[in-house]
Amino acid sequence: MLSPERLALPDYEYLAQRHVLTYMEDAVCQLLENKEDISQYGIARFFTEYFNSVCQGTHILFREFSFIQATPHNRASFLRAFWKCFRTVGKNGDLLTMREYHCLLQLLCPDFPLELTQKAARIVLMDDAMDCLMSFSDFLFAFQIQFYYSEFLESVAAIYQDLLAGKNPNTVIVPTSSSGQHRQRPPLGEASMLEGVEASLFSQCLENLCDRHKYSCPPPALVKEVLSNVQRLTFYGFLVALSKHHGINQALGALPDKGDLMHDPAMDEELERLLAQVPGLVNSAPANPEASCLPSRTPPRVGSPWRPLHHARKVDAESDGSTEETDESET
Amino acid sequence: MIPGKYRSVSGRAANNVNCGLHLVIQTSSLPEKSKVEFKLNKETPSFSGRLLQHDLERNYSSRQGDGRVISPSPRNKSSCISSTTNVTELCGLEMKTAMSSLSAFGDSSMQTPSKSRIRQGCHSAGPNVSGDHITLASSSMPSFPILQRSSEEKILYSDRLTLERQKLTVCPIIDGEEHLRLLNFQHNFITRIQNISNLQRLIFLDLYDNQIEEISGLSTLRSLRVLLLGKNRIKKISNLENLKSLDVLDLHGNQITKIENVSHLCDLRVLNLARNLLSHVDNLNGLDSLTELNLRHNQITFVRDVDNLPCLQRLFLSFNNISTFESVCCLADSSSLSDITFDGNPIAQESWYKHTVLQNMTQLRQLDMKRVTEEERRMASVVAKKEEEKKRESHKQSLLKEKKRLTINNVARQWDLQQHRISSIAPNQDGKVSDCPQDPSQLRGSTVSAFPEETGSLDSGLTSALQGLSVTDTHLVEVDGDTLSLYGSGALESLDRNWSVQTAGMVTTVSFTFIEFDEIVQVLPKLKIKFPNSLHLKFKETNLVMLQQFNALAQLRRVDQLTVDPQGNPVVNFTLWKYYVLFRLSHFSMQKINGTEVTQNDMIMAERLFGILAHVASSELPQYRLISILGDARKKQFRYLLETKGKKPGLVNEENSDSKRLVGENTNRATLNYTTRDFYNARLEEIKEKKKFCKMYMEDLVKEATEINMKNEALQKLWPQMFIELVRDAVIEIRNKSSYMKLCLQQITDQK
Repeated sequence: MLSPERLALPDYEYLAQRHVLTYMEDAVCQLLENKEDISQYGIARFFTEYFNSVCQGTHILFREFSFIQATPHNRASFLRAFWKCFRTVGKNGDLLTMREYHCLLQLLCPDFPLELTQKAARIVLMDDAMDCLMSFSDFLFAFQIQFYYSEFLESVAAIYQDLLAGKNPNTVIVPTSSSGQHRQRPPLGEASMLEGVEASLFSQCLENLCDRHKYSCPPPALVKEVLSNVQRLTFYGFLVALSKHHGINQALGALPDKGDLMHDPAMDEELERLLAQVPGLVNSAPANPEASCLPSRTPPRVGSPWRPLHHARKVDAESDGSTEETDESET
Repeated sequence: MIPGKYRSVSGRAANNVNCGLHLVIQTSSLPEKSKVEFKLNKETPSFSGRLLQHDLERNYSSRQGDGRVISPSPRNKSSCISSTTNVTELCGLEMKTAMSSLSAFGDSSMQTPSKSRIRQGCHSAGPNVSGDHITLASSSMPSFPILQRSSEEKILYSDRLTLERQKLTVCPIIDGEEHLRLLNFQHNFITRIQNISNLQRLIFLDLYDNQIEEISGLSTLRSLRVLLLGKNRIKKISNLENLKSLDVLDLHGNQITKIENVSHLCDLRVLNLARNLLSHVDNLNGLDSLTELNLRHNQITFVRDVDNLPCLQRLFLSFNNISTFESVCCLADSSSLSDITFDGNPIAQESWYKHTVLQNMTQLRQLDMKRVTEEERRMASVVAKKEEEKKRESHKQSLLKEKKRLTINNVARQWDLQQHRISSIAPNQDGKVSDCPQDPSQLRGSTVSAFPEETGSLDSGLTSALQGLSVTDTHLVEVDGDTLSLYGSGALESLDRNWSVQTAGMVTTVSFTFIEFDEIVQVLPKLKIKFPNSLHLKFKETNLVMLQQFNALAQLRRVDQLTVDPQGNPVVNFTLWKYYVLFRLSHFSMQKINGTEVTQNDMIMAERLFGILAHVASSELPQYRLISILGDARKKQFRYLLETKGKKPGLVNEENSDSKRLVGENTNRATLNYTTRDFYNARLEEIKEKKKFCKMYMEDLVKEATEINMKNEALQKLWPQMFIELVRDAVIEIRNKSSYMKLCLQQITDQK
């Protein structure tokens, strides 16, 4: 409870910044929605369960998009849930279209906007033929970048456009207000003939952006690393590099490494168990005796927090407030 | 053969004949037109009949009959006689010709010998035989033999010449015989008609059984009345332009494919085109005198123009390829036709043949050589009436069908319009205003204008005509056997109707076309109750775009088959859709999807792909979410039940069993459900409201808490100092023990 920054901010702002308020609001909202049912099994129990689910990342399942994108933790949880649920689709080797991936996303979040999926597909397909088929891993990593850093990427896009146009966007995120009351940078001149923008310049701009940006952005060191390898690059080239960057994925922490993407022994075991039931599925349907109450969960839920996946999570300083939330639920 | 015998034969033959060639050709004073009027002499009434009889007798004794209508084939005595009869009968007509300019016969009325003996062609007559009378000698022109008859012969048969079976390959030059009236070339090998142009008085020309390939060389024979060209190789009717007086034209047994160049033959009475290659009959205009037309043994499929023949009495169409009455319907318009044959046509095999013909051709006296009796006529009219009724019924049916088709078209159009509107609005909703070519206001204008005509009226007359089928312009509901078909969203209202138990029980297939899937979802509970046996669902043009939409089908009682037409259902393009359906609707243990049998492997694949989703959804979903999700599904059902059943007792039980089923069957996939877009948006609104409230509530709460916390912290900060101060004050107070004691005592006494 005694993290050092805590003392630097007023309490309210601190809570808001750590999204504790978001979760508290949502918890109350959920409570409100199912008052009758929840009051039957105890409000304290409800709050415990709620904050537990937030810790485990299961709180975003089938929730509305506005909630899913509300916090970085929610986004990461959603990414992880998506991976977990549809890993089998990728494992099967199917190449799917953007729309089909969108449908899968909608299975988890009914009002997931098409625009985001489109943007993610654009990263994979480099902005051309949108009807092409994509592999699961390509899409997933592109989608991760697009979804998790969507606000950041929007700002980057604006900067990129300004750079392309020869303007210097360094001071402001909003491209329209970039008047010349700042440090002078050499205009791009002859370089603009080539495709894309100069990497070093772009890098500097992004550094500034990362400093200022209030939303989560990829670790600046890693962005620098991505940009240091090349002379020039395009916007989509940058996004592809981001999506393929191992370190960024680790920093984000939602998904396993690319090599281990299809690897999830616990779930595979579970799947085997389910498959064993398939032939008997016909008979087992009416066999449920006390069906009027909720279906009993099959195994006692293993609290499988996904934090130990990567220890490098703390790289992203303002990622989520899971520690605090855990405390909250325990008090 | 000895000429004497021959003569006696022919004499006898001639004696048997009632009358010989009896041509009376008169020039009348009527100058206006060349009108040939045929009048039969005393035998008049029998002429046609007998001619016909011959024809028919042969027809019926052997199928060769067609070749023998007019052309005699004297193979033996009797046939020789009969053929003579034939010819003489033909020629026995008293032809009264009224001609304004009769150049060939001059201006005086000519009386041909009424009892002249006809020199009969003899089957064994070789060149040597005829040598007595006829000399065929090579002339200076090397290729044509020149014919000369002895003067005796000439006197005896001044007006006729017979060259039967002379093995002629060309027409001989006939010299000095300008008065010839009858010329017979039967059974030769002549390939070309020539050298007879000088015989301008010729009335009868018989070229039966030769090898003529083209009609030619006849242009000067203006008086020709009878032209017999049977059994030749003619391919085309031509070069008859000048034969205006032609009375009988026999072209049977040739290779003619079409009727042409005959429209000027206004005096033609008999036309024989049997055994040709005609495929149809038309071009009959102008044949104003035609009374008999023989078209047997062709390949005729249809007949036209017959109603333009004012005198036609007998028409023989046997052995052709006529299969419908429609193809010969012009016959019904002919008022003169009294005798017709259709035997040997496909049409004659039909059950309706006789009465249809009789009904349509009331003027008929003979059909296929049998007299038409009154009884038959009556029967025909009865049958025809029935037929008419049937036709009316089928017409009604087809009208209904047409109506249905139109309605479906209409619904389709409306659907397209609607889809278009959605698709043009959708990008706007997404915030992508990029390139929307349609001006929205313009678009709206067009839809508005299109609507009034579509919201047409219900055709009650037709609806009552066929039970179970109601047609309106904007939607269509149809029950056909075990299939209930719904077109257009309006059709969904029909589920509210009171369907008979029988109908409802019978329906096992429900097909939706041109209906938004979201609208279908809303009536699924109704469907479940009204049509409990529906096992097969068909979707076409229903805008199925997402996998999660299939979740909605899980609430049904049973689904054995699912057919989702790719048309208007983009979801079918997904590779995963089938597996998802199998996975989500696994509790139905479906048998067929889009007509393909579901295999065990499919089931396993489906489970492999989506099993984890179900597992995650059921086991990892927090309890409170589970309640709210399942609660939604249940609530939805309750709502419908409340709406429809009202306050019926026993409602509670049903609800329970229903929800029991729902939950029981789905177990771990019940959480995967579908809420229609509208409903979902409404829910989002609701959530927003709640969120707003929660936000405010929490804000207050947190503010209060932080304030308390702040105060607490401030206190914590101050407390050590305060404590020290307090202690210090206390210590100072009690330092002077005696004075403090005094003070204390004082206080005690004061209290008393």
